[in-house]
Amino acid sequence: MLGDILTPDLFASAIRMATPIALAAIGGTICERSGVVNIALEGMMLFGAFMAVVGTTFTGSPWIGLVVGVVSGMALAAIHAFASITLRTDQVVSGTAINILALGLTGFLMEVIFGRPGTTDPVPRLTPVFNFGGPTDGVWDWINTIVFSYTPIVYMAIIIAVVGQWALFRTRWGLRLRALGEHPRAADTVGISVIRGRYSAVIVSGALGGLAGANLTLEQVGSFTEGMTNGRGFIALAANIFGRWTPAGSYLASLLFGFADALQIKMQLFRDVVAIPSQFFLMLPYVLTVIVLAGVMGRAVAPAAIGKPYEKG
Amino acid sequence: MAPPLVEVREVTKTFPGVLANDRVSLSLNAGEIVALLGENGAGKSTLMNVVYGLLTADKGEIRVEGETVHIRSPRQAIDLGIGMVHQHFMLVEPLTVTENIVLGIEPTHAGVIDFKKAREDVREISRRYGLAVDPDAVVRDLPVGMQQRVEILKALYRGARVLILDEPTAVLTPQEVRELFGVVRTLVDEGLSVVFITHKLEEVMSVADRVVVMRDGRVVGEIRPKDTDTAGLARMMVGRDVVFRVEKTPSTCGDTILEMTDIRVLDERHLEAVKGVSFTVCAGEVVALAGVSGNGQTELIEAITGLRKVESGTMLLKGIDITRSAAHETIEAGLSHVPEDRHRRGLVLDFDLMENVILGDHRQAPFAKHGILNFSAITEVTRKRIEDYDVRTPSERVHAGTLSGGNQQKLVLARELGRDPELLVAAQPTRGLDVGAIEFVHKQILAERDRGKAVLLVSLELEEVQSLADRILIIFEGKIVKEFMSGEASDEELGYFMTGGGGDKLNAGTGEVIVSDAGTDV
Amino acid sequence: MPELTSEKHPGRVAAVLRELLVPVVSVAIAVIIGSIIMLIAGFDPIAAYSAMLKGAFGGGRQIGETLLRSTPLIFTGLAVAYGFRAGLFNIGAEGQLFMGGLSAAFLGIALAGLPQPLNIVIMIVGGAAIGAAWAFIPALLKAKVGAHEVITTMMFSYIARYLVSWLVTGPLKAEGQIPQTERLPVESTLPKLHEMFAFLVPSRVHLGFIVAVLIAMVVWWVLKYTALGYESRAVGLNPWASETGGISVSATTIKALCISGALAGLAGVTEVMGVHFRLFDQFSAGFGFTGIAVALLAKNNPIGVIPAAILFGALSAGGGTMQLEADVPQKVILIIQALIIFLVAAEQISRWILGQTVRRGVEDAG
Repeated sequence: MLGDILTPDLFASAIRMATPIALAAIGGTICERSGVVNIALEGMMLFGAFMAVVGTTFTGSPWIGLVVGVVSGMALAAIHAFASITLRTDQVVSGTAINILALGLTGFLMEVIFGRPGTTDPVPRLTPVFNFGGPTDGVWDWINTIVFSYTPIVYMAIIIAVVGQWALFRTRWGLRLRALGEHPRAADTVGISVIRGRYSAVIVSGALGGLAGANLTLEQVGSFTEGMTNGRGFIALAANIFGRWTPAGSYLASLLFGFADALQIKMQLFRDVVAIPSQFFLMLPYVLTVIVLAGVMGRAVAPAAIGKPYEKG
Repeated sequence: MAPPLVEVREVTKTFPGVLANDRVSLSLNAGEIVALLGENGAGKSTLMNVVYGLLTADKGEIRVEGETVHIRSPRQAIDLGIGMVHQHFMLVEPLTVTENIVLGIEPTHAGVIDFKKAREDVREISRRYGLAVDPDAVVRDLPVGMQQRVEILKALYRGARVLILDEPTAVLTPQEVRELFGVVRTLVDEGLSVVFITHKLEEVMSVADRVVVMRDGRVVGEIRPKDTDTAGLARMMVGRDVVFRVEKTPSTCGDTILEMTDIRVLDERHLEAVKGVSFTVCAGEVVALAGVSGNGQTELIEAITGLRKVESGTMLLKGIDITRSAAHETIEAGLSHVPEDRHRRGLVLDFDLMENVILGDHRQAPFAKHGILNFSAITEVTRKRIEDYDVRTPSERVHAGTLSGGNQQKLVLARELGRDPELLVAAQPTRGLDVGAIEFVHKQILAERDRGKAVLLVSLELEEVQSLADRILIIFEGKIVKEFMSGEASDEELGYFMTGGGGDKLNAGTGEVIVSDAGTDV
Repeated sequence: MPELTSEKHPGRVAAVLRELLVPVVSVAIAVIIGSIIMLIAGFDPIAAYSAMLKGAFGGGRQIGETLLRSTPLIFTGLAVAYGFRAGLFNIGAEGQLFMGGLSAAFLGIALAGLPQPLNIVIMIVGGAAIGAAWAFIPALLKAKVGAHEVITTMMFSYIARYLVSWLVTGPLKAEGQIPQTERLPVESTLPKLHEMFAFLVPSRVHLGFIVAVLIAMVVWWVLKYTALGYESRAVGLNPWASETGGISVSATTIKALCISGALAGLAGVTEVMGVHFRLFDQFSAGFGFTGIAVALLAKNNPIGVIPAAILFGALSAGGGTMQLEADVPQKVILIIQALIIFLVAAEQISRWILGQTVRRGVEDAG
């Protein structure tokens, strides 16, 4: 039976399931590295998911839908940035407000645009990038499934993780970002604009959150359902912590959760054999998150200045 | 004659309720070390923050090399050749020395940092000014003196011709202070102008070419050290003759109140910070732990007050074993603690005075019974304490955060002494206070001692230690290295042992320190 | 340097009034922005709000409905507010609420033989206890390891929902098609207020509302007059000073989050015992999250939670009428809720409108 569970599509599914979490987690990494807490990844993902469907519905093109999703995430992020940086409100409260706003906005617009609550009609999706045929078993099947079977955003996530990791430690942007989150006043005194740096970090995280949402609707499911993000934005926060606030770490940590998700789906097929109710499998990612946090927290150190609004002078 | 590098003319700066700088004028010339001397609150840091662009003056102007400039940000100041090293370093701890130095003006190719060039540049400057550093070291792991060097290199890397140092010696060992003075001499020989903000008279006498004295926001005088002495400077600083030593009667040592035997304590990184310390404090005695920051005092105090675990050894308070006691147990056993950082550990700034006064005793009578607070008793006691300890406030219901620093410290004392403890542990009790408040705190400490209580004082200020202590224990690298009775040792001798006797010869006869390397006379 | 002057102490009444204006202005601005959104979407805000007011306060029955819907919000508002006072963000009140409802549904059947009011008391206490228990692990993790309670309580929220989903479709399922538990016997339910006080107009509001108001007063008293409340507040404002003062930060944190969980559990208990008389998947309309808005609007003051909860109860009660008569989707209420949270948190906006200056810390001059 293990052989029936550990198939190539399980691992491919893990990478696919990990993608939205990873994108949101990397967004969280960048945002938090600049010193701003982002609880609102959930809301940005949800709103991005919805608007991606709206964009695709009205233009027929999922690529335009993707762009709309990304921009929508950035829009919510701009609100969070304004509240947290300029108005200096409590960042966790502001983030929570955005999550509620996203829920309300998507529900409201669902009825206004699509005429009914619940789920939208299916929309055209983004198709896999590669389309190699070939034998459906053996080594080639493993390689083909695990490396070449994905849709564009899945690959984007991997590229963003790799590039992001390199950029954080080797570029001017990365160095300044790290300074902002550790000691913003030091950065200020050498002429780096704390405000500008943090605004751009928050908005980038919104773009990534929106992209994560677009992945959910335009690649995974093909339609939008209210509340479909289902806590992934919060799991992404845990992935970021587990990954020690690095893009590569966030991606790898997300793989863990993606694997739990994929496993959960797979186990549903074996429900009768294993006699465990499906709800327990559905719980798996959330339980896993708690376990990860319990084990990791003492040793994971957040950027020193995180969550504290910056005041000049 | 060339115009001064920087000239400050009639600068005035006010904050709500405070006139921090009142028509201050000052000039800084190349090749000169100027000391800006004054007490806490005299306006020295404010003035230099204006010069550095962190603050903007309300009135007056600044000229750089004869040209009027409007410095609105540190960036502009740096571009004009003005560099500043703050008391609290502007270093990003997890980054390397090189990363910190080039931050903001990184050498790049299309956004990618050229680390090779950066490292080379750092080595270059470090060579030129004689400030040796390891470019790849992570700042967090460096000793404080080395971190300060990185700060200086940061300014030099940006082409500073005027270097402002804000209380640079506060965190240094005497050895590091001597090294710093050497570096400053080198910089000045290379044509820089250096400004020292300080309140330490000896430093001014030993290193400055010129002293500008500030008091209450105004410049009250300018003089050359060779034309005066520390007493003269003190008089200018304070406006009256200052009594350096508080009069005290000889101590009468009674029962042993605190007995520490072979205490070992670990720090945050699980390294030994206190390596087998033993001493006693008896009733009617003030014992001072003198040492430079970072030699284990903080961890030792935390261990005594129950805020940190004791790895081995025993602590007895009036015979009761408090080694494993938690904070509330030590309070109940008769120990009171005036912590180092009154904003963080001393008070809850958003609580009113009553709520602060009961902190630590809030479950005891008369403040509470069966877990329910008795507000009329609390109000009564608070009012009495406010009066007894001269806390200036319109009412007991204002938030503690609205009080001035001196009054906040008095409030902490009111709470801690109001408990009538057997042992008072006071850590840096006069930090950041003005002279009046310092006097008050010293009087209270001596009053406790005269009443037959025990006091353990931890202090960086040699003057305070000399004037209050009956016995002085010098702590260095986690161990007690020397003990003196009151009046036995000069400041120089204390300083010598505070650095573990690093490389200097002590003239046993006269107690004078003979400096072995080229540098200043201490 | 001259001594910094202490803040002038304002007259008490004037100060309280000034503080109240901020939430009021925040709500007003949120309502206005909500109107703008409705206008853009092609709705008539005036019709919407008047329908809402009619549905919320139009008559005795409507007022009763408003109070009914505010009952769980008082509890979740208290839960979140108490947490905030102790420096904790209990975003998982929803999950603790579910568990409270679960325990009521279970105990209600299990204790069927016991006389009133004993069984009701046991059920209420049981709901609080299970809510506290559900918050215990996140509390422990926060105290011992520093795990952020926002993530852990949120995770436990999802776990609770799946747990309930399983129980309601499996072991505890009643006969029939619908996934729900057995209906509670009448003795295990909370009587409606008009059944207890004949002078009231018939409506759905039940005893739970009175219990909620009483609990709010108890929580207020605990925070102000007990050592436990004092310690919670001290830790919430300054854990380091609290620690120096002998308070155990970890013990206080655990107690506070568990109390918060207990209060949220009570929300679930009263919903099951007073409104639905059984447990089913969707029995909570996001009360846990609305509780956040309630707590913030009330500035975390337990007594203030009551009017704040009534406001949101009114929005909820009126929402149905608004959808029916003005065609405006109820989800707009969530948008208004989010706006209120923003505006209360960013009180500068309201204060600026009121012409008040925002107090900033005293500058460091030296």
